[in-house]
Amino acid sequence: MNRWRNRLGSAIALLATSTLCGAADLPTDSIYQLGAQLTTQTGNTTGIDLYRGHPTLISMFYGSCPAACPMLISAMQAYESHLDKKSRARLRVLLVSFDAARDTPQQLDRLARLHHTDPARWTFASAAEPNARSIAVSLGLSYRRLPGGEFEHSLLITLLDSRGRILASTTKLVGDTEFQARLQSATQPQEHALARSPAAPGAATQLPPAHDRDSSRRGHPRTNRAAVDG
Amino acid sequence: MLPRGLLLVALLACAGAATADDNPFLQVAGSEFRSALPLDKHDTVRVRSFLLQSHPVTNREFLAFVSMHPQWRKGTVPMALAGADYLGAWLGPLDPGPRATAFQPVTRVSWFAAQAYCEAQHARLPDWYEWELAAAASASRRDARSDPAWRQQVLDWYSRPAGKSLPAVQQGAANFYGLYDMHGLVWEWVNDFNSLLPADADPEKFCGSGALTVQQKEDYAVLMRIAMLGSLRATDTGHLVGFRCARDAGGAP
Repeated sequence: MNRWRNRLGSAIALLATSTLCGAADLPTDSIYQLGAQLTTQTGNTTGIDLYRGHPTLISMFYGSCPAACPMLISAMQAYESHLDKKSRARLRVLLVSFDAARDTPQQLDRLARLHHTDPARWTFASAAEPNARSIAVSLGLSYRRLPGGEFEHSLLITLLDSRGRILASTTKLVGDTEFQARLQSATQPQEHALARSPAAPGAATQLPPAHDRDSSRRGHPRTNRAAVDG
Repeated sequence: MLPRGLLLVALLACAGAATADDNPFLQVAGSEFRSALPLDKHDTVRVRSFLLQSHPVTNREFLAFVSMHPQWRKGTVPMALAGADYLGAWLGPLDPGPRATAFQPVTRVSWFAAQAYCEAQHARLPDWYEWELAAAASASRRDARSDPAWRQQVLDWYSRPAGKSLPAVQQGAANFYGLYDMHGLVWEWVNDFNSLLPADADPEKFCGSGALTVQQKEDYAVLMRIAMLGSLRATDTGHLVGFRCARDAGGAP
């Protein structure tokens, strides 16, 4: 009993240490700071950072979406298909459903099989509220449940570096050459290694552009536009 | 100069410690509701009964939260969760500054911080439809949106220049549900703030209907709020953006 307790104690201490260190060596602007939980196609619970250490394509969808979501999956396959074999082996792909009620692990697994994705590098997962919303707003992706039960959402593919920082994103399902180029360079061996090493001093405290931080002020350009259009 | 710790104690002591009773969760009855947002092929949306806090979360309440949750203190929060101006007027992690008063709504909080605050109260941020339903009430009517006098009163706030410092909460009259400051004090985060209006009108980027026309075009005050919320990023910390929390009527968030 005592031994078991001690073991439990060490396990908790170890867990606490690894969790703390995990957050500490992440860049401050990494979306892995979210700590959001996912349920995968195998029924496992995992963190949003499951592909930490690899450049990763991430997007959100819902499985019962009739047309656009299968296109989204095909689009991600198309973007990775242009990489050479070694680069592709470095890349990971994470698709997160915001319809956790309907996208059960069985449903997600069915989707993965349907699209013949490589289970070693691709994960289909779902996130319940409020995790799903946190991930979506971090990526700048919108979704809204309509009264009929369908979702209205934006199609957005985001490229993360190996430590969860957003490198690029695209709303084009095909032929975004700039995005393709970013993907190409992010999966090069030296880039990959560079991103894995600790950031240069000062990099973590780098500030976002100072313009327009105060979005609540009146006369915001988008406020005007929408009010006029409306 | 007074030590920072003493200032904190002073602020808490003047106002007493923040408790749940200070900002009670009040019942808002569910309704078949005509939202200003486009609703696919439907005219109305079904909003279930829920609970909403009586007034926006105050400086005092937020101070109590960051005291308990060090990861949300100014200077500690990662950039992924709050912009550089998070709690901009605060002098230190536990010091709201000399000009802050206990009962002012807390502002310069990111969506993530607001959400974390609500989670710590076993609550959540209200969805837009919930907020809109609760804000449609005048002092005497559940839905006063067709009343021109009430509408004008709400609009007047938007045309008033922002004063130097925010007034305290609960200075005006409560609405039908007993809620204060739904209009006239601050903008408020909602859970789905970034999904009210698509950022871009390109229908190819949308899976559902993608209908972009807003209903109820006469309701400018609500339209401005939708547009303002839609223009924010989750890490933004506007000096007029606060929040309040909601719960399901059943008790769980």
